[in-house]
Amino acid sequence: MALSVDELKAAIMDKAMTAKKPQLYIKDFYACDPDTKPRAIKNVANDLVKEGKMTFWSSGSTTMYAAVGRAKDEETRDAAEDSK
Amino acid sequence: MPKHDTPLLDELESGPWPSFVTDIKRQAETKPECWDILGQLELSFKERITHWKHGGIVGVFGYGGGIVGRYSDVPKQFPGVAHFHTVRLNQPSSKFYSSAKLRDICNLWEKYGSGMTNMHGSTGDLVLLGTTTPNLEPLFYELTHDLKQDLGGSGSNLRTPACCLGKARCEWSCYDTQALCHHLTMHYQDEIHRPAFPYKFKFKMSGCPNDCVAAIARSDFAVIGTWRDDIRIDQAAVKGYINGDFPATGGAHAGKDWGAFNINKEVIQLCPTGCMSMAGDELKIDNAECTRCMHCINAMPRALRPGVDQGASILVGAKAPILDGAQFATLTIPFLEVNQENDFEEVIEQIEKIWDWWMEVGKNRERVGETIQRVGLPTFLSVMEVDIVPQHVKEPRSNPYVFWQSEEVEGGFDRDVREFRKRHAQ
Repeated sequence: MALSVDELKAAIMDKAMTAKKPQLYIKDFYACDPDTKPRAIKNVANDLVKEGKMTFWSSGSTTMYAAVGRAKDEETRDAAEDSK
Repeated sequence: MPKHDTPLLDELESGPWPSFVTDIKRQAETKPECWDILGQLELSFKERITHWKHGGIVGVFGYGGGIVGRYSDVPKQFPGVAHFHTVRLNQPSSKFYSSAKLRDICNLWEKYGSGMTNMHGSTGDLVLLGTTTPNLEPLFYELTHDLKQDLGGSGSNLRTPACCLGKARCEWSCYDTQALCHHLTMHYQDEIHRPAFPYKFKFKMSGCPNDCVAAIARSDFAVIGTWRDDIRIDQAAVKGYINGDFPATGGAHAGKDWGAFNINKEVIQLCPTGCMSMAGDELKIDNAECTRCMHCINAMPRALRPGVDQGASILVGAKAPILDGAQFATLTIPFLEVNQENDFEEVIEQIEKIWDWWMEVGKNRERVGETIQRVGLPTFLSVMEVDIVPQHVKEPRSNPYVFWQSEEVEGGFDRDVREFRKRHAQ
């Protein structure tokens, strides 16, 4: 049986926080609930971005998802290097 | 006064052609950060390596596309391009806009960006090159509120749909490309602005098989206008062409004397399927053999026109050469109604069949054409509920193995073979 939206959000956040890599493809979240269709999982992941819990990381040709705080933006990274 | 010495780039100004280096130097007079573009590019020429990093967490709130993060990996040396993000704007259908609109966009870009543009990107967007992260939100606010213009697609999103001039300018258009392009753009706003797929996905719409937006070569889902009855022939106009009353190809290439028009040499013998002939002074076409190459119609536009039972062919899976080389789209549905009155539901039904399958089966960073190649065309055609016909076979089979689907085998793969053999001859 498919997870509820809240359960799915929790599963996606758990995956985003505990995965080895900070940025994940949308397909990486499909395993959070094999009974939910990919488009529904995409919608929930996008809701988490709107709620400010996840963020998009994009190369320009591909887009990935990351839990806020796990993936560093370039400005933060540059500032960290400057402060060393 | 140049900020950096650029002897290698200066070479690019020495030829007889227009030079982007000259353009950027001119822009640098009002936008000093443009000197740093030249400085960084000169360094790349010297070191033979790019100094652009791409990608990052950059965008406007709620959108997962339309802004492409670009950063210099030598920001201290070239601070003007430390951030130099690209902004993609959704172009109007067929790229019809007023000069006032273009002026407004350029003024906005002078205010918030480098002033440099790339008109248009290969997906069709108006591409604005070079701005900083703090400028993104104010730019987006004014763009959407004052100019009523939206961002286009980027990343793993549906990319900005693009179409040819269609019925606005072209008598051959077999459906209203602008109406379909606009409808799909509005219907799939969520897919354009937020990542949805394993990789990029592009729609392109051409009104006829001349395919002026190169949908067959560039789009994952190409909608190319076609007809399923006979090419309309005006035999009097055919005679007019033969007699030299009308210039061939609508007068194109008229700068050179090509001699008298020869219908046999210039049209009939060039038909790829040989489906044309003359019977006395009448042109005959075996329409069942026509592959819609458009050559005869292009050569004699007064005499020949597409048929009246019009719609579109759907082709799936083109891409540019990143992995595995360039790939043309595969003709999947030869004829489909393109009906504005029912909100193009036949087209949308096909799109969603592809998406539902590709989102599940496609690998990360795999275009749908590559997925089709990987799993095989028969699997894709069964997803699309299309019966396989001989035209789908590219070449005779060289693989000695025969692959059966479970449903093609009596009892499926789970049958009890011993039990089966008791009842059937071995």
